[in-house]
Amino acid sequence: MDFFLGGLARGLRLLAGLDPEVYGIGWLSLRVSLSAVVLAALAAVPLGLLIGQRRFPGKRLVVVVFNTLLALPTVVVGLVVYGLLSARGPLGSLEMLYTPAAMVLAQAVLAFPLITALVIAAVTTLDNRVGPTALTLGATRGQAAWTVLKEARFAVLAALAAGFGRVITEVGAAIMVGGNIRHFTRTFTTAIALETSKGDFAQGMALGVFLLVVALAVNLAAHQLQVRWR
Amino acid sequence: MVDPIFSLRGVRKSFGGRLALAVDELDLAAGTVTAVEGPNGAGKTTLLHILALLSPPDQGRLIYRGRPLPRAAGELTALRREITLVAQQAYLFESSVAANVAYGLRLRGMDRRARRERVAEALERVGLSGFGPRKARKLSGGEMQRVALARALVLRPRVLLLDEPFANLDPESSEVFGRVVQGLPAQGCTVVLVSHARGQARRLASRVVALEGGRVVSA
Repeated sequence: MDFFLGGLARGLRLLAGLDPEVYGIGWLSLRVSLSAVVLAALAAVPLGLLIGQRRFPGKRLVVVVFNTLLALPTVVVGLVVYGLLSARGPLGSLEMLYTPAAMVLAQAVLAFPLITALVIAAVTTLDNRVGPTALTLGATRGQAAWTVLKEARFAVLAALAAGFGRVITEVGAAIMVGGNIRHFTRTFTTAIALETSKGDFAQGMALGVFLLVVALAVNLAAHQLQVRWR
Repeated sequence: MVDPIFSLRGVRKSFGGRLALAVDELDLAAGTVTAVEGPNGAGKTTLLHILALLSPPDQGRLIYRGRPLPRAAGELTALRREITLVAQQAYLFESSVAANVAYGLRLRGMDRRARRERVAEALERVGLSGFGPRKARKLSGGEMQRVALARALVLRPRVLLLDEPFANLDPESSEVFGRVVQGLPAQGCTVVLVSHARGQARRLASRVVALEGGRVVSA
């Protein structure tokens, strides 16, 4: 128990001491994960809206596929993105491997099915009078779709928060395509893995505590938005 | 008959293989109040949805103001902006009363100041002056229906379609609906209201169309 408490105490001291390396890691993690969520949402939200609203043959199968992709292992995503970005891969010429951009891409791939599946669920469970109400008040199809999204805003925001939770905590893809390079691609999770393997448990704990604080701050911000929208 | 605003010819609509509406010929006069009556499942709401241009007929033609309906989405939206449906237990958006009433005006790009004036005027018409900042979905059932009516009236529609406007309404709201409907033909607005029971709807209407099993049995 002392082992844990000692680690926790040192962790809190590191945080309070504004350790530049720890804060650098925190800032990079936040930047990468938020960018990944935004990138994923740009595709996932419209797609989820479309799938949720439209009736088409094979819809159930599509929903099942997205639900299955929720279980996508992060290392598999890391492997695929690594393959795409490696020197011999189709996107090798972009020279993105072992950069924060590669991590954003991998995390966006991870978040995409989760956000899509949750937006589909949000739109499907929304009152089915929303679309016709918008149309009869003069909305175009696009404006009606936007209204549906606005009415489902709490659930959509929850989907984005879940996507953020998924990517900020993952380690497999980040380490494979980011490479855990100090001061460049080292995030909370890759640093925790490294510190633990080095035996520096306290540093790992410090980063773990900081990760939770950042996740808490992001979720509090999302919650504030929900409150303001009510 | 005054020029018809709607003409239905050979209109058929089915849901899951069940014929919901089969109207061979029906004309609805402009600037009048028509009550559509019939028991549950008679096809009244289906008819309203077709008239609201929300659901196209499977077969037959709907002619609006002498012209068949356009296929292009943009032209259809332009026509839909002349026709507004107030559903039974209308859906109010998760926002304030004022935002709900202003919704259609915002879609039409009206500036904030003009919107505010029109919203206040519409709320006054339905007896809800001062209700603007309140949460729309926290109101009573009758008040919510009146907000939905204001949201439709604010658009100054050419056609107002009302689905069971007097069902489950408190006396005050019922009186508001009656008074508003009565005044609309003088402003050039055509009203079609649907009711399952003979009552207030019939008293307000200049014509009653009876539906049964999706067919017009008297008009």
